[in-house]
Amino acid sequence: MRETGALTIVAIGSSTTAGAGAGSDDKSYPAVLQEELRRRLPQINVNVVNKGVGGQSAYDMVLRMDTDVIEQKPSIVIWQTVVNEAVSDIGEEKLAKILRKGIRKVQGAGIDMIMMDLLWLPREGRYPHYESYRTLLKVTAKEYGVPVFPRYGVMKEWALSRRFTPEELIGMRGTELVEAGYRCLAIRIADGIASALTSSGSGEPGVRGASH
Amino acid sequence: MTPPFSILHFLLLGRGPGQGPVEVQRDARIDVIRGLALLIIFINHMPGNVLAGYTPHNFGFSDAADVFVLLAGVSATLAFGGIVEKRGLAIAGLRIGARLWTLYIAHIAMFIIVCGVVAAAVTRTQNPVYVEAINIQPFFSDTFSALVDALLLRYQPSYLDILPLYIVLLAGFPLIYCAARRSPALTLVASIALWQGAVGLGLNLPNAHAAGWFFNPFAWQVIFTCGVVLGLGVQRGVSVPRLWWLDAVALGYVLLSLVAKVSSGNPLGLAVLNDWFDSVQLGTDKTNLAWSRLMHVLALAWLAMRWLPAGGALLRPAIGRGLAAVGRHALDVFCAGTVLSILGQIVLAETGFALLPQLLYSLAGVTLLVGLGMFLTWYQSITLSGAREMRVSAQQASPSPR
Repeated sequence: MRETGALTIVAIGSSTTAGAGAGSDDKSYPAVLQEELRRRLPQINVNVVNKGVGGQSAYDMVLRMDTDVIEQKPSIVIWQTVVNEAVSDIGEEKLAKILRKGIRKVQGAGIDMIMMDLLWLPREGRYPHYESYRTLLKVTAKEYGVPVFPRYGVMKEWALSRRFTPEELIGMRGTELVEAGYRCLAIRIADGIASALTSSGSGEPGVRGASH
Repeated sequence: MTPPFSILHFLLLGRGPGQGPVEVQRDARIDVIRGLALLIIFINHMPGNVLAGYTPHNFGFSDAADVFVLLAGVSATLAFGGIVEKRGLAIAGLRIGARLWTLYIAHIAMFIIVCGVVAAAVTRTQNPVYVEAINIQPFFSDTFSALVDALLLRYQPSYLDILPLYIVLLAGFPLIYCAARRSPALTLVASIALWQGAVGLGLNLPNAHAAGWFFNPFAWQVIFTCGVVLGLGVQRGVSVPRLWWLDAVALGYVLLSLVAKVSSGNPLGLAVLNDWFDSVQLGTDKTNLAWSRLMHVLALAWLAMRWLPAGGALLRPAIGRGLAAVGRHALDVFCAGTVLSILGQIVLAETGFALLPQLLYSLAGVTLLVGLGMFLTWYQSITLSGAREMRVSAQQASPSPR
């Protein structure tokens, strides 16, 4: 990036990345992230590539990590996964192996990774293993020094804050809430990336390791 | 018993011991296994279901889908291959066209029902995970293009991807069958070449929301083609040769696959196999059909042909008759099972995956599906005999001109 003045980010994931529930594609979080980063870093040509495929497992994503992520030669990869594994309870040991494989692939290609925490659910009792898979995601990411974007905490704080009456939260049409959520998510990530980029270099934004 | 020479004769030239096709009795093994595969698909399509931890994919590389596609090849040959032989390619083509239309309508109907079920569940429960579970978000975010894409089979929510595969495979059946009649061996070679070529070149049919179809038809045609060749062997009266060494190889592979799936790490301790165990324990490529899956389903098929009793033996116990009824009405049961399993995903989550509701729902679903198979068998028998009586009485009522 330093040479080219370009910042490419690949967002790989399932429904959240693909833009589940948003009214149109340009309201998915990667699209908003691109918009926000371009505004924050006008001197850089920012590109956020959306490689979200709804319903995919972490294993499906590891299989396409080479073609969909590494061949794009991004500086940063944002990996959103584990929700399907938490639902189907595929086994924590197996999931840890799959995540490690994916992280090693990306880091081996010299690309920085950010992982995304699971989404906050209004009623977690539906999925009894949810919390342990969340923990596994964070522990595995930590092993490799991969920062985890605290999406769960952000969503929870936002949903439980008194800014919204229960009627607003429940009565709101699903897509509006989801779109607002994506916007919030994208802005928080954009802030994180932009501040990391501008603080690491002297005037000139750095790349490698900047997201840590 | 057929000497190995006759098997070679069949594989190279597609010829059996007799002249041309023989009259084929309906093979109960096909119906029973297919029925079982359909019930397993119903259970597997409720991820997180405790019973899904005991279905075959936990104990081997292939799963019910591979078996289903293999048997689809066998039964397409027995059904439509016979028509090609007796009435020619044109009539068979028309019959296949009619079948394709039925499959397409069934797929679209299922798509609409499933979208409706999930939409109702999401708006009522505010649980965003249901959207994820079947990849339905394109339908919510852009209904119009999702509808068009669904009609063009370019958008397939999860679990609604098997019928589109079957539609493409059946459409290719006349070509595969005519090639297999000339030379099963060359057809298999061409099929494997197409599969490997497509994997190498990244060839797949278009999917509006992913790189390609979840079941890449260019890959999965290889299992279907194997099924066509098996069906052709049955049709030509080729009996299964007693190859003890092949039994041993097949059994060995099935056992190796069992050991690999149920253990963690490398149980054999051979360092050269470390990576292999590691990779097959994480998963197998379903989209492009991993070699390990193909070998596994073929090994199972060989063992079934050699050791499962042919004829009506499997139908003697009630469970065999129930499974056969399911297998004989595969399309109806598959569609009902898909809708039931997606409904089940919602029921299971809403009851917090408590054990009792899981078992009750699974039992109720299996009972409904077997009941559907048995009902359709009965319904078919009364309508068939009704039609026969009508024909007879019509002949009696109007004396023939001569």
